[in-house]
Amino acid sequence: MNTTSGNLIEKIYYDDDIVKKFLLATMVWGLAAFLFGLIAALQLAYWPINANMEWITFGRLRPLHTNAAIFAFAGNAIFAGIYHSTQRLLKTRLASDLLSRMHFWGWQLIILSAAITLPLGYTQSKEYAELEWPIDIAIAVVWVIFAINYFLTIRNRREKHLYVAIWFYIATIITVAVLHIVNSIEIPVGFLQSYPVYAGIQDAMVQWWYGHNAVAFFLTTPFLGLMYYYVPKAANRPVYSYRLSIVHFWSLVFIYIWAGPHHLLYTSLPEWAQTLGMIFSLMLWAPSWGGMINGLLTLKGSWSLLRTEPLIKFFVAALTFYGMSTFEGPLLSIKSVSALGHYTDWIIGHVHSGALGWNGFLTFGMIYYLVPRLWKTELYSKKLLENHFWLGLTGVLLYYISMVTAGITQGLMWRAVGKDGQLVYPDFIETVVRIVPLYWVRAFGGTLFIVGFLLMCYNIYKTIQLAPKEQKAEGTEVSRSGFDEKTDKTHRKLEGMGLVFSVLAFLAIAVGSVIEIYPTLSLHKYITPANIIEPYTPLELAGRDIYIKEGCYVCHSQQIRPIVSEVLRYGAASTVEESMYDHPFQWGSKRTGPDLSRVGKKYPNLWHFSHMMDPRAVTPKSIMPNYPWLAEKDTDFLVLRKKLSVMKQLGVPYADDIVANADIDAQKQAKLIAEDLEKNGGPRNLQKKEIVALIAYLQSLGQKGKQ
Amino acid sequence: MKQEGLKFFTDTHLTSIGLIIFFLFFVGVVYWVSRKDNKRLYTEMEEMPLKDAEFTYER
Repeated sequence: MNTTSGNLIEKIYYDDDIVKKFLLATMVWGLAAFLFGLIAALQLAYWPINANMEWITFGRLRPLHTNAAIFAFAGNAIFAGIYHSTQRLLKTRLASDLLSRMHFWGWQLIILSAAITLPLGYTQSKEYAELEWPIDIAIAVVWVIFAINYFLTIRNRREKHLYVAIWFYIATIITVAVLHIVNSIEIPVGFLQSYPVYAGIQDAMVQWWYGHNAVAFFLTTPFLGLMYYYVPKAANRPVYSYRLSIVHFWSLVFIYIWAGPHHLLYTSLPEWAQTLGMIFSLMLWAPSWGGMINGLLTLKGSWSLLRTEPLIKFFVAALTFYGMSTFEGPLLSIKSVSALGHYTDWIIGHVHSGALGWNGFLTFGMIYYLVPRLWKTELYSKKLLENHFWLGLTGVLLYYISMVTAGITQGLMWRAVGKDGQLVYPDFIETVVRIVPLYWVRAFGGTLFIVGFLLMCYNIYKTIQLAPKEQKAEGTEVSRSGFDEKTDKTHRKLEGMGLVFSVLAFLAIAVGSVIEIYPTLSLHKYITPANIIEPYTPLELAGRDIYIKEGCYVCHSQQIRPIVSEVLRYGAASTVEESMYDHPFQWGSKRTGPDLSRVGKKYPNLWHFSHMMDPRAVTPKSIMPNYPWLAEKDTDFLVLRKKLSVMKQLGVPYADDIVANADIDAQKQAKLIAEDLEKNGGPRNLQKKEIVALIAYLQSLGQKGKQ
Repeated sequence: MKQEGLKFFTDTHLTSIGLIIFFLFFVGVVYWVSRKDNKRLYTEMEEMPLKDAEFTYER
């Protein structure tokens, strides 16, 4: 690297082709993600839309929607923005065209693999980390390609000092790599199935450390970097306070990593970890609002641009939603608020105000800013842009208000206890029926959002169509700067040292991660020997994998909180021991249906059979889909030996003969359940079918303790 | 509440270390950014996104 500044003017060519590719991919996958979301929303409002088809049933569609929204829509958007802004901030072309293209095509292949495997039911059931091990490896490889390309670009730079947006990008690259690798440590059982090395509280802790920081370092820090670049660019004014941006960066990176356990309040996760997560979440108020204020005040004195440059409306709305959702997040992390809001649609509303309002609107603003400039033309229609904005805003608001109302309504109904000490609404379905109208409002809001998005797609299509056909690459003249500056200012020096800066950012996230995760790895400390449970039988394990495959965890929790109304409704609060052999844990995060931790032996086998074939046969007005294919597809008994041996390797105490005879034992147990079904009037010869394995698993829930 | 919270926690030194690192780091950052003689540098840094020529309207 040349280490001197000079007056030498060099002509360089930015790689805008890769930016265009990522932008177009953002729009294509964005449409897919939003449509999946709309179908899922309609399925909750009107269950027949599940269409008795396993591939699009809600349990499989919802992970496809979340993965598409986060990794396909937001992922492609951040890569486009990062590659565009970094080249200009560092005054250099991206280090390698080959690596850039490997990054692009590799990422699209990963998205395609997700779009195929998730509907087929290949999932690890860990939220936003559902993809199976071969795809996990591909993600790690593509991310490393991105990182190498990025850090080589930093090395080749002509501007020594790294603008704050670059810091946010560096923190994103480092932290996402750490999160993905640590959360994806798993042992393969077959080509598309694996079990995580963590179990129970360990798995819950690692998963939500990952899950929350996926929000922090995939949906927040890169978008903040984009905000610090594109808001000043669009307003043509420098950021309001550079000082504030430094405090914003370091405090956000340092604090965010600790907040994961707020997803696990009142669970059997050790209380100290819950309290730590709650306190750090509350501290997040300060840096988040500091960032929002910094962004909004950048427009101070330029508000008139809202009339002449309407794309700025998207940035203003995005920052407002960022402020709103980062106020609401810590609020929901307060234990007493979480007691009401957790497992309800309030959380869904909260998440979508961030995803649609913050990530969505910032991305739209960036697309409207970039496309005319990259294609060297004018935007086709500002009027369409205006219409997109107002339709989108109305859509998000309808979505948010309906879901918060639904969540608080249902939360209050769940916890209502009468003077007689009994639940006021003992039937779970009563609390579902009450909020179904709000599901229709949500679907309408989503439709408006999509209509607005389609207007943008048309507007962008016309803009590109009207652009000059011959897109001759224009060079940019730059000179080196900052390299021979003499300074004793510590942070000034630090900004110039990409590697040292990256190591410090890594340490900032490593401290919180190690302190939170390390203690839970010593699971034995939290186990009371007298409460240790029996592992699942081979057939129950087979049923558990079907439960995971169908995405039952998407709507049913397996974690009873020590709250009066929950104990009255579901039984004694869940314990650490009850999930100690659960690779992966199945605590869930949403109760569209009731908790299932103690559903075992509550109903006869035939009830479960009827319920899975047609939930309305036993629970009138249920919104659960039918699962007729479970009575048609055979259980794979032969793979059970391998499954048990992997579980044994992971520390589940299976005796050698149990592993060796896993398939035989499973078939014996299946025969007993099938006979019971037949004796009570159910169909004949079901012993080989998946439904029997699933019933075995459901009947084991809450029944594995020694007492 | 406190007793309940710490019932199972035996690694108290970890949180103390975390708190100390966090606090000292935060104080350090606030000290850095509040130094008055950095003003010129910050003015220069905040202009960085505006240096290239992709503007459509005058400042």
